[in-house]
Amino acid sequence: MGGIFWLASYPKSGNTWFRSFLSNYMSDSDEPVDINQISVGKIASHRLWIDNVIGFDTADLTQDEITSLRPVVYRWKHMEGDVSYHKIHDAYTYTREGRPLVDDVATVGALYIIRNPLDVALSYANHRGTDIDQAIAFMGDPEHALSRSVNALSQQLLQYMGTWSFHVRSWTEAPGLNVRIIRYEDMHTDPENTFAKAVEFLGLQSDPARLERAIRFSSFDIMAAQEQQTGFRERPARAERFFRKGKAGDWQDTLTNTQVARVVADHREIMTRFGYLDASGQPV
Amino acid sequence: MHHLYRAYGLTIASELQLPELLPADPDHGAPDVTVTCERIPPQGLAGGTQISPFAWVNGNAFWLRVPNVSRFLVTDASRIVVDPEPGIDEASVRVFMLGSVLGALLFQRGFLLLHGNAIEVDGKCLVCLGPSGTGKSTLAAAFIRRGYRVLADDVVPVDAHCAAVPGFPRLKLWQDSADQLEFGTDGLTRIRPKLQKFNVPVPGRFCDDALPVRWVYILDNDNKDSIRIDPIVGMDRFQPLRANTYRRHFMEGLSLRPEHLKQCGELAGRVHLARVTRPRSGFDIDGLVDRLLADTREAG
Repeated sequence: MGGIFWLASYPKSGNTWFRSFLSNYMSDSDEPVDINQISVGKIASHRLWIDNVIGFDTADLTQDEITSLRPVVYRWKHMEGDVSYHKIHDAYTYTREGRPLVDDVATVGALYIIRNPLDVALSYANHRGTDIDQAIAFMGDPEHALSRSVNALSQQLLQYMGTWSFHVRSWTEAPGLNVRIIRYEDMHTDPENTFAKAVEFLGLQSDPARLERAIRFSSFDIMAAQEQQTGFRERPARAERFFRKGKAGDWQDTLTNTQVARVVADHREIMTRFGYLDASGQPV
Repeated sequence: MHHLYRAYGLTIASELQLPELLPADPDHGAPDVTVTCERIPPQGLAGGTQISPFAWVNGNAFWLRVPNVSRFLVTDASRIVVDPEPGIDEASVRVFMLGSVLGALLFQRGFLLLHGNAIEVDGKCLVCLGPSGTGKSTLAAAFIRRGYRVLADDVVPVDAHCAAVPGFPRLKLWQDSADQLEFGTDGLTRIRPKLQKFNVPVPGRFCDDALPVRWVYILDNDNKDSIRIDPIVGMDRFQPLRANTYRRHFMEGLSLRPEHLKQCGELAGRVHLARVTRPRSGFDIDGLVDRLLADTREAG
């Protein structure tokens, strides 16, 4: 039974780390997979994927038309009959016709990776080449999207994300969606359990030795060393490095009290739900 | 009432006005291609093979539906039937008709179709290939601004003698590219009413002669700061041509695969082929033109 597993997250939440793990797990080789050869399926918003399937150019379509076609493309992929894993940064949304963007028939499930928004803000600022206040503003902007320009063309399609909280809720509360949530912080503190659960959810055979090796091969040190040596294709030009620190809790040394207060005010409910605020409402 | 046009070396008699194309001489004789507006089966081709959610093939017939725009049927490498959705504007129909639909017809006529642009340089042809969003049209516009002539943009048909065949004198430019290259968009028509993308006629900068393809560049971009040109040699020369074939899946659906592989092989054997990697953003387009021209001179 084929279909698509979505590896869904807000940007800078551990998606590349997870895909590197998954690629290492599936390849089961003696050497770490090259970060530039992570062999997990294409990102959902890959323009060429969509163009190749539909047979005409999304560059000649309006945004609404593209949105309506995307679930059709994923269903076509599903009909090929194999299981595939695809990164996605779009929020879980619907087309004008009321159809889930990711198509409910094509979708087997979604692994949603969540990370403390205080750390996301820091990492997203670096990624976008903006200051932290701007990143915090992006994360609170209900209209926030990637590849938005209407005056030029990107190799990525527009990815509507909305606020960070909306993004989390859109995936974790999507009606009828088979979703499993993993926390970036748990990938750090308890990798064996966290990755093992993910492997099981994704329908892969579990194998402790393979798991241990894939975790080791996708460690921050190995990926950062690879970037140092050969560069990483997915690094944005405006960011100095893609693999920056790879740690949890860095916000404590970097964000000002005002910045922390703003993120908390913007995302209190979701932060509480996922353990990023304690019982008294303080960030942890 | 038929309008007569020419494009890709073909005379086209069309019920639909196609102002992007050059007019043909009425004394030319029988047209090679007719374009008519008629009803088309709404659900694909009975007995055919579905090759995409929106495309079918059956023998010499190719069926395409662009939702809410039009259905199209291409048969026997010579007939195009258009069945527009009620109320759709003609510009929208033409965008797809002059792209994928004409592309399917050119496949049926046996051309190797490359996804890129073709520029005349010293009586030969320079071709730049890459997927949508790699800046092909912008680059073609930059060559035009430098006084060069284009043969084709987006779809480059290559004939059995490895010559590029001229299309029609039109570029499609996004607002940002037009601004960057100082092509004013006042008075230009949009390719579709709701898109910030314009039909830019380039009649004085159009090369109407087929020219031998001499240089082929694969356009790529990355996060580094400089433009690099790396020759592609040996066995690696074949795959980039195949990968940058226009609508490769159509061609494979039309059972043209063996012929296509042969065409790619022949072209690979004849041209100077290199990968051009430029910074993803903030690069100097004239600098890129200079680098390409320098490389063509060096390669000869």
